[in-house]
Amino acid sequence: MLAANLDPVASSIFSMLAIVSLVLAFVMLGSRWLNNYLYAFAAESWVIAALSASVGYYGGYPELYLVAGLTGFFRGLFLPYLVWRIIYRLDVAREIHVFVQPSSTLVLGALCTVFTLTVAYRVGESLGLANTVAVLALTVMLSMKLIGFLMLTVRHEALSQILGLLILENGIFLGAQILVPGMPMLIEIVILFDLLIIVACFGVLVRYLVTHVGSTSSLKLRRLVG
Amino acid sequence: MIREIILQICQVAAVLLLAPLLQGAILQFEERVQMARGPGLFQPYRDLLKLFRKQIVVPDTASWIYWITPFVAFTAMLTVPILIPVLTDFPLPLSDMGDILGGGLVLTLASFMIVLAGLDTGSAYGGIGSSRSVMLTILAEPALIVVFVGITLLAKSMLPFAVNHLLVKNPAIYLGPAHLFLIAAFFALLLVETDRIPIHSSTHIEVYMIEEARILEYSGPFLALLKWASMMKQFILYTIFCNVLLIPWGLSQQGTALGIAGSLMALTLKFLLVAIAVVFVETAQSRLRFYRYQELLAASFVFAVLSIIGTQLS
Repeated sequence: MLAANLDPVASSIFSMLAIVSLVLAFVMLGSRWLNNYLYAFAAESWVIAALSASVGYYGGYPELYLVAGLTGFFRGLFLPYLVWRIIYRLDVAREIHVFVQPSSTLVLGALCTVFTLTVAYRVGESLGLANTVAVLALTVMLSMKLIGFLMLTVRHEALSQILGLLILENGIFLGAQILVPGMPMLIEIVILFDLLIIVACFGVLVRYLVTHVGSTSSLKLRRLVG
Repeated sequence: MIREIILQICQVAAVLLLAPLLQGAILQFEERVQMARGPGLFQPYRDLLKLFRKQIVVPDTASWIYWITPFVAFTAMLTVPILIPVLTDFPLPLSDMGDILGGGLVLTLASFMIVLAGLDTGSAYGGIGSSRSVMLTILAEPALIVVFVGITLLAKSMLPFAVNHLLVKNPAIYLGPAHLFLIAAFFALLLVETDRIPIHSSTHIEVYMIEEARILEYSGPFLALLKWASMMKQFILYTIFCNVLLIPWGLSQQGTALGIAGSLMALTLKFLLVAIAVVFVETAQSRLRFYRYQELLAASFVFAVLSIIGTQLS
């Protein structure tokens, strides 16, 4: 396994990039402006692309450079552009009625991170990987997943929910890059297209909501109709 | 020994003479970003020269504090460069007088005296400026102390030279999260302490002024000394940020004339880099409301705490 025997420089680069993307996930959690979510998501994708490239460099997987390029282009430019188009057409700048304030959400996110840290320690010990970068990668992966779930739960604008879904996916991708770097190229491409389809479907759904319900907030969706 | 004393004098002289240039460069870049021509790189020198030629007008209410403050502030800024690596990466004579905390103490002494002088004359603006700046200090101080603690835990030492050597020798520590969070925390403090935009306003004389309000009663050479001291403070903080934390390379290791020239060149490049980042912040950001000051400082505090956690985890 790559994470078990890394030289110190590589492991500090990996942990730095992982922690920066976790911080960006917290930025998304703490803000209520949709534009900020989007910038943070794009920045996070670029950080993850850099992580792929450095894993490729230090682990000797040349195909990861291509993955890094694809990640940077699709997740860092194309998906944010699509979401930006939706935001621009919708004319929703921010979450207006929040039922958990951003600052309280930050505290909840911090609790999630502490929880995942303990989980990651246990998992790391049972795999014999304690005190390596694998523990940190597990922590960041699981806490980004929990933060994504938290955003899906406490935000009710359709756009924050899609960005929550995208963070969740970013977290899994980040963890996979460090823990199992040799994933087949085809899977990566399939995941990227999945994401594209998710965003495209959301775009259609959001426009449908606007025409039929008049709002994209899930608070307004009270009736189950076909 | 003689050479080391000369080097030490060179360090202080570099801070003294190049500080207005740094200020001029930042102001000029800002104007150029806004598609204006700008006053030129050397405008702060011309301003200082003009102020030194003017006469001194002292308010009737001023006491001795008013008279000594410019000198205390200026002397404090001349003392700090002795303690930090400006040109050489080895300690020079008298640089063991104080560690990072000692330097911080001398810097704080200067701003404490300026606060007193703002209150001393009894003018309304001086009082407002002093109270705002004390408020800001109360908010910024915890973050600063935690940054110092983080540096100490990282390097197991409080000497700036030791931190510099550690980062140059161990790229793993340089690239580690602990160090990078310290950089982020210190950058936010740098913006606060050098009168930059998320806290301070970009124009000089207006209702929200903080630094300018405290020295509003000064004129002539006194005002020149205080302005020069604040430019030197900016230069010193940039030096600590670059030579200790951000880019610890490019310092003279033997202290030859060629090495000093090289490290001056390197210093220019480093400051250019940081100045471009600062200009970006000043252009992209607007000034925060008074009751939102703590947001930036809380972010800085959180980064510093994260960096301490980082040093404990690794």
